Amino acid sequence: MIEHDFDEDFVPIAAELQRLPYLSPSRDFADRVISGIDRLQPAQGLAPAIASRHLELHQGGQQAVVRRRNVGLVRGTAKAMAGVGLLAAAAFMFLEIDVLTAVLSAATAQYAFAIAAVGAQLGAVVLGSDTIAFLQAGALGAVLLYLTLAVGLFGGYAAIRTAAHIAKRKAA
Amino acid sequence: MTPKSYTDVSDQQVVVFAQEGREDAYRELIKRYERPVFSLIYRMVRDNETAEDLAQETFIKVLNNIDRYRPEFKFSSWLFKIANNITIDHLRRRQVDTISIEGSPDAITAERARATAVTVTSGGESPLEELESRELGAQIESAIAKLRPEYRACIILRHVEDYSYDEIAEIVKLPLGTVKTYIHRARQELREYLGDLR
Repeated sequence: MIEHDFDEDFVPIAAELQRLPYLSPSRDFADRVISGIDRLQPAQGLAPAIASRHLELHQGGQQAVVRRRNVGLVRGTAKAMAGVGLLAAAAFMFLEIDVLTAVLSAATAQYAFAIAAVGAQLGAVVLGSDTIAFLQAGALGAVLLYLTLAVGLFGGYAAIRTAAHIAKRKAA
Repeated sequence: MTPKSYTDVSDQQVVVFAQEGREDAYRELIKRYERPVFSLIYRMVRDNETAEDLAQETFIKVLNNIDRYRPEFKFSSWLFKIANNITIDHLRRRQVDTISIEGSPDAITAERARATAVTVTSGGESPLEELESRELGAQIESAIAKLRPEYRACIILRHVEDYSYDEIAEIVKLPLGTVKTYIHRARQELREYLGDLR
């Protein structure tokens, strides 16, 4: 209760003012406010069920980026090379792929990785290692994808040539 | 330390948990102050949707900047200060000066006017007392609505929220003398509007 600092004739009005009820916003008010806050952690102990979905997505994104950064360029390159090698061996064994196609395919893969490795080193000097690590996290996946596509292309081309060669030999 | 319940936890302590980014602490602060803040804003703008939007903007601004809270001040004072700033800015943009008890001046249909009219509720009274209370409450709401927005904020903070003159001056960012003048004039105007109550 506040102290009286007004005339007696204002007392009934002051009493009525103090009796004014609080008004309530809509029921989802708190949820709408929470959805607008960008610095939340999930509730611990009190109400785990109401942990923010927004936060889960946010943290999930961060974790994915961190994991990708841990994959080194050398390790990725080695895996890619092993994959290409296996595909090439399979192509030689089962598809009678001709040497020229195989050499071109391997050379393309080799130079692509050599250029990527040199570019990464130069980029690290110019842009800083953190930036390059971030770029590599996404770029490595893209390089592998393109490589797989290229190998598939060459493989398909070789298979067609081989089939044509066999058909030609049979016809002869 | 994680509290099992915030029932006996002070505002300052809840704010500390909120500063750690805990959602339950944010919800507790909203739960404690959504009605006072919404009521203050509603009585200044007299439009339910606008009041909700402004109250939402207030809480989002306060809670996103919770690290800037200075514990030497009451959390509620800081909250009301932001609410008042946002509301006054809105009123200046809209130039809404006088509001009718029958509904918002922005209302373009009778339905909208009814929706924006003040509804005063009370509990634990006989039907006659409730009726009288509603009539008195409606008269008070009507009288407050006729005041200038600056007077409205000061008189509500003084007589509804029980803030001292110094705290009100801090909340509305006006000199102490100006606040006293506003409240004095607001009381005079309320006396004129509510002559029957005396």
